[in-house]
Amino acid sequence: MENTKDILLDWRLHASVLVITIIAEAIGVIAVPIGIGSILLLPLLYAFVMGLAINPNVLRKAGAWLGQREVKAASPLIVIAIMPFIAKFGTIIGPSMEQIIAAGPALILQELGNLGTIVLAFPVAVLLLGMGREAIGASFSVAREPNIAIIADKYGLKSPEGAGVMGVYVIGTLFGTFIFAILASLLATAGVFSIEALAMACGIGSGSMMAACSGALAHAVPEMEEQILALAGASNVLTYATGLYLCIFVALPVTEKLYDLLGRKEPATANTGE
Amino acid sequence: MSNADIPLDPEAETQPDLFQQALLLIAVCVIALVGNTVATDASVMQGLVGLIILYLIAMAGLLLTHLVPVNLPSVAWISLVGIVATLPWTPGSGWLLERVAHVNFLTLATPCLAYAGIAIARREIEIAKASGWKIFIVAVLVMTGTYVGSAFVAELFL
Repeated sequence: MENTKDILLDWRLHASVLVITIIAEAIGVIAVPIGIGSILLLPLLYAFVMGLAINPNVLRKAGAWLGQREVKAASPLIVIAIMPFIAKFGTIIGPSMEQIIAAGPALILQELGNLGTIVLAFPVAVLLLGMGREAIGASFSVAREPNIAIIADKYGLKSPEGAGVMGVYVIGTLFGTFIFAILASLLATAGVFSIEALAMACGIGSGSMMAACSGALAHAVPEMEEQILALAGASNVLTYATGLYLCIFVALPVTEKLYDLLGRKEPATANTGE
Repeated sequence: MSNADIPLDPEAETQPDLFQQALLLIAVCVIALVGNTVATDASVMQGLVGLIILYLIAMAGLLLTHLVPVNLPSVAWISLVGIVATLPWTPGSGWLLERVAHVNFLTLATPCLAYAGIAIARREIEIAKASGWKIFIVAVLVMTGTYVGSAFVAELFL
């Protein structure tokens, strides 16, 4: 990397991000109601799209403003820029610690259920859809901000794994609330799981996903509304607390191992003759 | 950490050192402060104090990443510092929480995603083109699998 002065003096890069942030936050959250759920448009999504729009690799015209030098300089800043966010989240988890301990083993152990994505999504991604290493980033977790941070830290977001996690993140941001609302209302009426279990499971995603999910549940079982929201909230906090470590120490290593077993070899190693 | 089968990317990013991280983190916090002022009712002063605290938590986490010989990502250390600093039985946690309450957490993710959009390289666009509809199917399965999996385990232990 060039020296610090160069990165800091990439003023076009930082100025672009500043302007994008202002525009994105000025627009704010927009909820587009669609039947049972609603598609939530968040400022961070506009920021991503605007970042793409001035990326010379996406729009050639943008090359007049930003060059490959800025594109390269932006990469290490992704991890730096998520740090204040992660610090803030720690301060959301800390105060709820007693509540989390009181909530009992079910709440803690249901985090293990997050591994369900590996059972369901990973084999389909690798065996049916023939995806490469991007399947690791795409299916090791539910792909929210902390999971992106893990992938960014370990592989970099410019890697195939990074592309996978960003792909699922973007789809989740666009359609996640809708998907969770459908899942919650379907399962609530199906009667396979208890409402308490479904409420705890609502905490697995982002705040907006949790809101949509527990909202749909509460709509289906109005007499349990308070209980549903409390369980979903505690579970959401827990997802960010323990989910991070579950991802680092269990989900990601397991996905890596499974890829070694099931995945296709990268072109660089494929010519070893199989 | 790194597997031998990953082809070495000539454009691979080298990580900035601690001093560089400290400087870049300031730049990021300034952008976050502007974003927070636009997004929330908090004054510039309230946002500034909150962000200084978050900056210090992040720096403490980064220091631990460098000093402790355990291979944990910096984000794990930073979240850990944030949790410990705001535990109900940590002295001064109430004061700290009041200060950081003026910083909106979703707003903090906005500059990050702007950098992420700008950092997309040609190679990634090729990947996205190659697996566009596939990633949609995988995303739906990821969310369904995670939700049903969590509900299933919760059901077992209720």
